[in-house]
Amino acid sequence: MDEEKRQEVESGKTTTVDARGRACPQPVIMAKQALEENERIKVLVDNAPAVENIRRLAVKTACGFAVEEKEGGFWEIVLTRTGPIEARSGDSASAGPGNELLSCAADGDQRNVALVVALSDDHMGRGDDTLGNILIRSFVHTLLELKPRPATVICYNAGVKLALKDSPALDDLQALEKSGTEILVCGTCANYFGVTDQVAVGHISNMYDIVETLAGAGRVVRP
Amino acid sequence: MAQERSDFVVFLFPSVSHALTAEKLLKAAGITHKLIPVPRHISSDCGVCLRITEEQRPTVAELLRGRVTWEGEAPLEVQV
Repeated sequence: MDEEKRQEVESGKTTTVDARGRACPQPVIMAKQALEENERIKVLVDNAPAVENIRRLAVKTACGFAVEEKEGGFWEIVLTRTGPIEARSGDSASAGPGNELLSCAADGDQRNVALVVALSDDHMGRGDDTLGNILIRSFVHTLLELKPRPATVICYNAGVKLALKDSPALDDLQALEKSGTEILVCGTCANYFGVTDQVAVGHISNMYDIVETLAGAGRVVRP
Repeated sequence: MAQERSDFVVFLFPSVSHALTAEKLLKAAGITHKLIPVPRHISSDCGVCLRITEEQRPTVAELLRGRVTWEGEAPLEVQV
């Protein structure tokens, strides 16, 4: 930040947004709101992901961006815009407050971001089912190496076959369950395939649980 | 079939098809096994391998010999 800008900031022409102590995605949302009403804002944040998210906001909205790390473990960011912010964000396909700006999960801080794995088939990918079956087995096995482990694994449609007593992926799903991952098996699907009595891991679940789990997930991975 | 803590070895194959053929043979012979991704520390062109227990190693080698080619065998440390 050059001296001239610093003086302006300190002379009180700049609206200050204190987003310290706020969890992602609050800082970037607060910054964006303030930026809609002011041409120049100062944002205070206390974590690196927030700095990165606001840097991305600046790039997307073509705002000037200057950041300075301060004593006491926080950053001071100055954003300046030249035109209306609406015109720029409005012509993208995004809905809501710039969803693509937010990467709360991707910036190294993954706590409290529930990962849900949706196993919707007993194959991974399309093209060849024999290969696809090898891949899904490898996929489920490798889930055990993830840290943190998925919060929930949902098996639905042909994915329920992975949870049956003769499934080659059964021991991996059981190991996941033992380590704290919740395994939901679609009851309608098991019934449809006539295999309800063969489900050997997790618990038989219904669409209410499945919808709530998917909707409440931080991230959903569907192989 | 929760695996007890034990020593495992993996059989490595030149291709996925080889691994699949071997798996069919093991299945038919009733030998407990698991098809898993090749561990990171082992390099192999084919991404999957067959994991069996150390005790089964001679039996498996005997079963596969002459029926399917394998590239090698490697011990596997299990993280439980």
